[in-house]
Amino acid sequence: MTPVTQVLGVLGWVVITLAVLQTIWLIFQPCFKRCSRAERRATDLLRDTLTPQQFRQLTWRGYLEIPSPTEPQRVYRVPRSKGYVQVIENGHMIMRLCLQPVELLPDPDIVVMHKLMIEANEELYLQKANKYLCID
Amino acid sequence: MLRVMSRRGDDRVVWDVQKALTGDPEAMAAIREAERIFAQERAKGATPFRVEPGKPVERIDQFDVTAEQIVMVPRVVGG
Repeated sequence: MTPVTQVLGVLGWVVITLAVLQTIWLIFQPCFKRCSRAERRATDLLRDTLTPQQFRQLTWRGYLEIPSPTEPQRVYRVPRSKGYVQVIENGHMIMRLCLQPVELLPDPDIVVMHKLMIEANEELYLQKANKYLCID
Repeated sequence: MLRVMSRRGDDRVVWDVQKALTGDPEAMAAIREAERIFAQERAKGATPFRVEPGKPVERIDQFDVTAEQIVMVPRVVGG
């Protein structure tokens, strides 16, 4: 075996090892995040703020639906992790909203933030958010 | 209880209104501390909400010692 072949072999194993480690990280990253103290505390606040049904919906479907306090046919779909809030009217997405805190917050706190703002003052929430209209 | 959202999850200050009414120094100190944090976060642009089970969420402007739970959300901007 020539030295070049040996080096290529080692490099091949390094690449394979890195790929395996990355896959493992991607699989277990959510668990690590949930285990951090900040995430735990934020999850406590989330659990205290949501009803058991809402918490189940967020866990299993990956989003929380918040009915509009002013428009009966409108629902805000808040994702569990970072992303746009979808505005659904009569079953159709009409726009996406982007609103974020100036300070870095754990994901569960972001969900609580959207819920409190929508339920307490929907008009102000809509004023502050950047809107991206969906055109069919 | 006052809960202030932060990168650490949330920071909490807990007080007992009943004890404060009887003049308990520890409860009074907790209320003073909560009021101080409330004012400090307001000055930074945070929004306070009164969150109580079975009641609609309410945005408040003044510290309410009788609130079961006040949650403070940091200043937000359109993304």
